[in-house]
Amino acid sequence: MSEERRRAVITGVRAALTGAAAGYLLLRSGSGYAWLLRPPGAVEEQEFLRKCIRCGRCAQSCLYRAVDMGRLDAGIALGTPVIRARKNPCRLCADLPCVKACPSGALDPQLQDAVKTRIGTAVLVERQECLSLKGLRCEVCYRTCPLLDKAITIENYLNARTGRHAIFEPVVHKEHCTGCGICEQACVLDRPAIVVGPLQPPSESLYEG
Amino acid sequence: MKVNHWTLARRVVQLTVIGLLLTPCLGWGLFQGNLQSASLLGLKLSDPLAALQVLLLTGTVALPLLGGALLVLGGYGLLGGKTFCGWVCPLGLVTDVFEYLPSTRQLRIWPLRGKMIALLVVLLLSLTLKIPAFETISPIGIVSRALSFGPASDLLLVAAILLVEVLLVRRFWCRSLCPLGGFYSLAGRVSPLRIGYRAEACTHCDRCRRSCFVFEVLDAPLVEGTSHVVSGECTRCGACLDACPTGALNMRFQHPLK
Ligand code: SF4
Ligand code: SF4
Ligand code: SF4
Ligand code: SF4
Repeated sequence: MSEERRRAVITGVRAALTGAAAGYLLLRSGSGYAWLLRPPGAVEEQEFLRKCIRCGRCAQSCLYRAVDMGRLDAGIALGTPVIRARKNPCRLCADLPCVKACPSGALDPQLQDAVKTRIGTAVLVERQECLSLKGLRCEVCYRTCPLLDKAITIENYLNARTGRHAIFEPVVHKEHCTGCGICEQACVLDRPAIVVGPLQPPSESLYEG
Repeated sequence: MKVNHWTLARRVVQLTVIGLLLTPCLGWGLFQGNLQSASLLGLKLSDPLAALQVLLLTGTVALPLLGGALLVLGGYGLLGGKTFCGWVCPLGLVTDVFEYLPSTRQLRIWPLRGKMIALLVVLLLSLTLKIPAFETISPIGIVSRALSFGPASDLLLVAAILLVEVLLVRRFWCRSLCPLGGFYSLAGRVSPLRIGYRAEACTHCDRCRRSCFVFEVLDAPLVEGTSHVVSGECTRCGACLDACPTGALNMRFQHPLK
């Protein structure tokens, strides 16, 4: 190999490695999310990160603009579609335009029926804050749920504290909940008591922002 | 005033691409996606390098992605490979325009080969990080995203590239670092669309080389006397055709391997 060529290769290797290292650090430092709510049909998260080619077509096909694209703060998920349910939940469109637009199979085209979506599940994370559990008849989450009486039901029992009032508790049924997040958006509290979390057992710190 | 026909045509095409990338927010349905994958008037197009990364990661490629990728690969294979860089890529346009700053001409350059190494690094990185590495950090994707979803923090990466290009190393991203450019240079190597050269008309004024940001590719005809530009690094941008005062250069289809 000529001297000039050798030098060229060394510069190239150095440049590429610097770039790769910078990119890696950038992405690692930013991956601060506990979990991300994906559009309907999203395959399992690790698989999703491998398959999604970050084209944004799901987001562009969503008439409600419910799908956002991850930016630097999404870390390793930079450029992937995210739903921020509290701001703008998925409306479970019957024809699932987002799934149809996805070229890569990251949103599984097998999903044909919007109510079969399982992108997460709602959880009453702040039980002590929920107005219904305090004895009021709020039930806004229940009323707005597109799968009313299936994904959320109201269970009533005696208010043990007063001994003569009733508690009407919203209860989520994981087997029917789509994870759309409409309840999370609707919750009247400043910090929602009901939040969509991953299908696996969720932690307390799910709500961000 | 002399009109640079090729550059003019190229700017029109580049700006059309920018326009298309802007349309999804208008809800016209004419164009959807970005340069990683798009639907243009119903025609499904995808980036072959993105498909390659997904193939490496998952062992399969979904049919819509594969179809679109083969179509695009075939198209650029026919039309010069790095024609993507010269005519379509929005980052190519931005860095190209910054080169109008005269000071950039004095900067040092890095060898073209760096792109192939970057391509290898990106493929290896995909396997270790378990994400399509280039699609994730692609500044081309970032520019497209800024156009169709509004600017955001990730534009910092693009700003960093521009900063290096105007202060330190001339066109370092497109010349030496872009894995996608490296990928398309492979297609450019076998493409039938070439810059042809007529030695008898050439006065060796060197204007073509000065107009070209990958001027090394003109060495083959000018120094070694080949009848056309051989290297896949040529973006078929036509700047040399605009610059040549004697018409010694032309754009033509020919048997790719002759
Ligand atoms: S189902 Fe409808 S609302 Fe939900 S993400 Fe898809 S397009 Fe948007
Ligand atoms: S359409 Fe599919 S591949 Fe494209 S960003 Fe959305 S999930 Fe990813
Ligand atoms: S996320 Fe909430 S609104 Fe949506 S289906 Fe589940 S319980 Fe109902
Ligand atoms: S080298 Fe890369 S960034 Fe530059 S024009 Fe080509 S594809 Fe675009």
